[in-house]
Amino acid sequence: MKVAYFSPMPPERSGIADYSALLLPALHRRLDVEVVKHGDLRGGRDADIALYHVGNSPDAHGWIVEALRQRPGVVVLHEFVLHHLVAGLTLGRKDGEGYLGAMQREAGVAGRLLAHGVLDGIVPPLWEIRPEDFPLAGEVLEHAAKTGLIVHSRYVGRRALASGYEGPMWRIPHPAWPPPSVEPAEVTGTPVIGSFGNVNASKRVPQLLDAFARFREDHPAARLLLVGASSPGFDLDERLRGLELEGVQREDYVDEPRLWALMAACDAIAVLRAPTMGETSGSAIRALSLGVPLVVSDVGWFAELPDDVALKVPVDAHETDTLARALELAATEPANTAMRAAALAYVAREHALERVADLYAAALEEAVGGGAVRDAVLGEIADAAADVGIGADDPEAAELARRLGEVGLAG
Amino acid sequence: MRIAVCSPQVPFAHGGAEVLAERLTEELQARGHEAALVTVPFKWYPGQRVLTQAFLWRMVDLDEVDGRPVDLVIGTKFPSYVVRHPNKVVWLVHQFRQAYELDGTELGQFGDDPVDRATRRAIHRLDRTALGEARARYTISRNVAERLERTLGLDAEVVLPPPQDLDFRCDEYGDFILSVNRLDRAKRIDLLLDAVAGDPAAHVVIAGEGPDRERLEQIAHDHGLDGRARFAGRVDQAELADLYARCLAVYYAPVDEDYGMVPYEAFLSQKPVVTTTDAGGPLDVVSDRRTGLVVEPRTDSVAGAVRFLREHPDDARSWGQAGKEVAEQVTWDHAIDRLLHGSGQ
Repeated sequence: MKVAYFSPMPPERSGIADYSALLLPALHRRLDVEVVKHGDLRGGRDADIALYHVGNSPDAHGWIVEALRQRPGVVVLHEFVLHHLVAGLTLGRKDGEGYLGAMQREAGVAGRLLAHGVLDGIVPPLWEIRPEDFPLAGEVLEHAAKTGLIVHSRYVGRRALASGYEGPMWRIPHPAWPPPSVEPAEVTGTPVIGSFGNVNASKRVPQLLDAFARFREDHPAARLLLVGASSPGFDLDERLRGLELEGVQREDYVDEPRLWALMAACDAIAVLRAPTMGETSGSAIRALSLGVPLVVSDVGWFAELPDDVALKVPVDAHETDTLARALELAATEPANTAMRAAALAYVAREHALERVADLYAAALEEAVGGGAVRDAVLGEIADAAADVGIGADDPEAAELARRLGEVGLAG
Repeated sequence: MRIAVCSPQVPFAHGGAEVLAERLTEELQARGHEAALVTVPFKWYPGQRVLTQAFLWRMVDLDEVDGRPVDLVIGTKFPSYVVRHPNKVVWLVHQFRQAYELDGTELGQFGDDPVDRATRRAIHRLDRTALGEARARYTISRNVAERLERTLGLDAEVVLPPPQDLDFRCDEYGDFILSVNRLDRAKRIDLLLDAVAGDPAAHVVIAGEGPDRERLEQIAHDHGLDGRARFAGRVDQAELADLYARCLAVYYAPVDEDYGMVPYEAFLSQKPVVTTTDAGGPLDVVSDRRTGLVVEPRTDSVAGAVRFLREHPDDARSWGQAGKEVAEQVTWDHAIDRLLHGSGQ
C-alpha cells in the first residue's frame, strides 16, 4: 500500500519535522511511503492514501492544508489550536473574508464581529492573545472526517468530538527517540533542574523562577538550566535581578547533540505551559527516553502522563507552591530513582518507535480498506437477516447493529 | 455451577482444540458442575467471511438457558471468545494466527491489497474487544501468552491443559520414531522424512490425517522410504497408546506451535521428544538433554538427533522418565481451579 506523506521535514526547524524524521524509517519498513516535497500540492497522486501532518505554523503547514483541500486523506493533528495557521492562510494572504468566515464558523456572529475588530486593528491579534478560545480547527476536521484523524492524546480527541467531529479517529502516541549514547553535559551545581523550549510566560517561566528560588533555599547548590530562545517582550534578566536569583544557567537555541547532553545532566525537567494548544512535547518525550523525571503542568496531554513518571502541577492560585514541592520531590531521593525507572519503562511500553509505526500502519490500512470490509460484512449479515424476514426497522436489526458496533464491525 | 464451554467447530475436522474443549467439559461435569459444550460452525474464508462467522458468536445468548442462568462461560479458540457474557473467562487456545504471526508467510491468508490488510486489522480490533472484556484470561502455553501480550497488549496466565486419557505405558524403546500430528505443512513432518532419508536404520511411523498426506507420501516415496516410513492414518486410542508404548522417541517439531499435547503424551509413556528451536509451545517442557533433544530446524540436525537416540537408548530412557515427572504436574484439578478462580466464583 502506498502512502503520500505530507509533513515539514528537516532542515526545517520544526518539532513536527523532527517527528517525521524519526518516524519515517520505521514507516518505510511497513509501507511504501513517498515523502512529498514542500509545496508540491499534487505530489503522491498515485498513492492509495495521503497522510497530512497539521500543526499551527502557517509557514510549515499552510501548503499541507492546501493539499488537503484538494485531496482527502488522514490528518495527523499535532495540536488542536490552529488559529495561527488559519490566520496565515487567510489574513496572511490578504484574505480577510476567509478569516471572518473562519471566526464565524467557530463562534457565530460574535466571532465574526470580533474578527472584524482584528481586521480594523482595534482588537489585538487573537492568535497572539487568546488563540485557545478560538481554535479554528473546524475546516481541518471537516476534511479529516472524510478519511480519518490521528491524535496524540485523549484531550485532543475529546476536543475534536466536542467540535462535532464524527469521522474515524485513532489515538497514536508520539514516538520516542532511541536515546543516544550521550555524555551528560558538565553542569555546575546539584540538583539540576532543566527547562527546554521558548522562554516566555506561557511556558510558566515566571512561576518556575519563583519556585526554583524557593527550592534553592533548601538546596543552595541547585542549578536551573533554561535552554531556548527568549520570546520578544520577555525580559528574563530583569526578572532574575528582581528575584536576586542565582544558579540559573542560560543557553539559547542548541543543536540536537547539545540538547541531549544537557537533558542527560538534569535530575528533573520541568515542562510547563498554560494554556495548552493540545500539543504533545518533544522535550518531554526526550526526557522520558533518558529516564529523567518530569514536572509538568496539569493540562492537556501532560495531564495524561502516568503519575509515576510526571508530577502534575495545577495551574491555579497555588501553582508556585505546588511547583516548588514537585521539584523537591522529583529531583531528590527516594522519588528520583523510582521515577527514573518508571519513566524508562513507560516510554518503552507506550512510545516505542516500532509500536507507533505499527499503529500508523494499522490506521492507514483501516482508512484505505476499512470501508470495503465493513460493507462486505454488513452486506452479508443484512442479506442473511433479510432471508429470514428481518427488516431494517425490526428490533432484531437494531440488535444486530448494536452487536456489530460492540466489536468494531459497524459503520 | 452452570458452565458453558465455547468452542468453534470446523465440520469434519477434529483436532487438539476440539479435544481440549470436550475434555474440559467432561472434567467439569466430573467435579459436579453442570457443564455443556457450545459450538458454532466456523469457516474463515473467503475474504471477510472470517469476520461474519466470528460475529455469529456475538449473537449467541448464554445469559440463561431454559430460564436458569448460566454462571460462567469459558471461551477457547478463535472465534468462540467473541461470545458475550457478564462472567466470561477465556482459556485461549489460538487467536486467528493468519492475522498475526503467520501473516506474510506461506501459511498466511491475507494478501497486500488494502481490503485484505483492513480485514486483518478488523480481526485485531475484534480480538482486542472480545478478549479485553473477559474477567480473566488464561492461555494454553507461554507461546500463546507472549503472542497475546505482544500483539494486543493483553496479559494472561499460563494454564497448561492436560493431555487426553490414554492407556499410557512404556513397553519398550523400539526401533521407530513416532510422529502424531494433523498432517499439514505447519507440523513439518517433511523435515522428519528428509532427516531419516539418509539413515538406512531409521524407521518412522506417522499417525494422523490431513490435507498434506499426499505430498508427504510422495516425499517418502521420492526418498525411497517405502518400508521405513509407515503412514498409519487416523488411529484409535488403543492403537495410539500402543504406538507411544513401543516407540523409541516422539518427533514433534511444528512451526511455532501454540501448545501441542503430543509432548505430554510422549512423556506419560516415558518417551523423549525430538523438537526444534523454533517449535514454540513444546519448548515449555522439552528441555535439551533433559527430557529430549532440541535441535536446529535443519535436516542434518534432526537426523543427528534420531541417530543419537538410537545409539544411546539409556539416555532415551532417562529423558523419557524425566519427562514423565514433568507431565504428571499438569492436571485437570489445577486447570479447573484456575479457571474458576478467574471467574470470581
